[in-house]
Amino acid sequence: MNAIEIKNLTKNFGEKQALKGLNMTVPAGSIYGFIGENGSGKSTTEKIICGLLHPTSGDVKIFGKPLTDAETRAKIGVLIESPGCFPNMTVWNNLMLQAANLGLENPEEEIRKMLKLVRMEGAAGNKYKNCSLGMKQRIGIAMALLGSPELLVLDEPINGLDADGMRIMREVLVDVTKHGATVIVSSHILGELEKVATHYGIVRGGKMIKEMTAEELDASCRTYVALQASDMYKTKNVLCREYTRVEEDESGFLRVYDVEKPENIVTYLYKNGIVVTEIKTAKIGLEEYYIDLMKETGAK
Amino acid sequence: MEKSRELTFESPTFFQRIKSMLGVDFYRLFHTPLFYIFLAIAAIIPAMLIAMTGMPGPNGEPSTPLFTNVWQAIAANTPIYGFEGIDKYANLNMVFIFGGIMVSIFIGHDYKSGYVKQLFTTHAKKEDYMISKSLTCAFAMACMCITYLFGAIVAGAITQTSFSVNAGNLICAILGKIFMSLGWASLYTFLNIIFRRYFGISIASSFFFGTGVLVIGIGSIAGNTPMLNVFLYGSSVYACLSANFINVLVCLIVSVAWAGIYNVLGTYILSKSDVY
Repeated sequence: MNAIEIKNLTKNFGEKQALKGLNMTVPAGSIYGFIGENGSGKSTTEKIICGLLHPTSGDVKIFGKPLTDAETRAKIGVLIESPGCFPNMTVWNNLMLQAANLGLENPEEEIRKMLKLVRMEGAAGNKYKNCSLGMKQRIGIAMALLGSPELLVLDEPINGLDADGMRIMREVLVDVTKHGATVIVSSHILGELEKVATHYGIVRGGKMIKEMTAEELDASCRTYVALQASDMYKTKNVLCREYTRVEEDESGFLRVYDVEKPENIVTYLYKNGIVVTEIKTAKIGLEEYYIDLMKETGAK
Repeated sequence: MEKSRELTFESPTFFQRIKSMLGVDFYRLFHTPLFYIFLAIAAIIPAMLIAMTGMPGPNGEPSTPLFTNVWQAIAANTPIYGFEGIDKYANLNMVFIFGGIMVSIFIGHDYKSGYVKQLFTTHAKKEDYMISKSLTCAFAMACMCITYLFGAIVAGAITQTSFSVNAGNLICAILGKIFMSLGWASLYTFLNIIFRRYFGISIASSFFFGTGVLVIGIGSIAGNTPMLNVFLYGSSVYACLSANFINVLVCLIVSVAWAGIYNVLGTYILSKSDVY
């Protein structure tokens, strides 16, 4: 069963077309990494899924039911843009509001559980406006998790989180999917997303340009050889004569892509009077895959 | 990664939905200072009107009090739809003007804080929002009517103003005005879902309608015609110190009817518009 099925979704804001026939399939129980540039239509899609925006045309089904279905909508947890808390109320009272909104039978216990989960037990009495950005994000996550939602829609949830916050976030996402819930999470921090996502959707210009599983991503990520040598300038020139793609990376290594046998490079360079001091093979990550894909689609 | 777990969704009944939405609104009402500030304002208004207008002037000369009877601060003796002086105008109806400001701030913050995203994600039915807000704000305005009443009584007791009145008529007038809270609250909720986070405009429009300037204008031209009771301000005026059971019934019917109209219109607008 799919948690979300979107077909030919369009959304116009006056003259501007934010979504141009977007298709999307999110399997139930997955962590769906929703990736795209700013203004590509991620937030618009997420807001439509949550019923906050009305689609101009297209079909959106959540757990096989239409978007307007009260039963399914009551089981969506959301963190879009900001947590949506009242600044002059305490963290506890804001969560109590959400518990009332969800009609929870045992709100105090649930809230305590969520605050513990996001390591905010000590801040329950703080006014929301006095919380730091990272704390606010954690509160937003706690709010979204209240009532054990079947579908969690998180827009940039790791923005402003410190390393510990990001780790908690990863643990939370994995934990909720263990219980069968589905998560859609959009983020520009692709390195973090890569650690948890089981499926990916890459959107550009209001259209879905690629949907794939984590395994498919892994299979389609190119391997490369990274090396350091005695004379890097000369090494690059020599390698460019033999290999089609040679790039310098941020850590001062030269990357040679699509190499079948790394030892051939060492021999080739040695024959050209260059001694390799360090060499390793690796695969490009989601971030590089995404950048490559953007370049390709941009060129098209 | 597909899980084989069977998903079951319980369909929330209308009462479950309204209960949870009312839970949110009442929790917020009682846990923020806004409500208590406006309760205090409602109590201070009659106290000022009764006590201050009865004070001697700067040179010690006796002033003419605005009211000769405490209950004139609650309602006029007879329904006067046009404007015949501040003493006939300034009464419990003023709660509906200040109530409009409270409602604007209360609902405006739903949008300004972004909390409305949580509400509309969970509640697919937009009527839940309209009904809940109308009922909560009606309750708040009814409470303001009561503190206004206490303010008037205390000020009257301090200034030793006359309390003589027909108790039955007075109760009918007070009940009529309290019933009108629902209609007024629905109007202000409707105005607020149009202007949303721009609650400056909501406040201005609430103030405009709350003063009853439109009905006063018609009343000044057409005279004291009971036809004006079909409007919220007209019925609010109709709940006067000569009111009886019929007046209360008229107030109730008019208030509920307008509440219904504004709720239907508000629900329609919400269901056709996006939430930002």
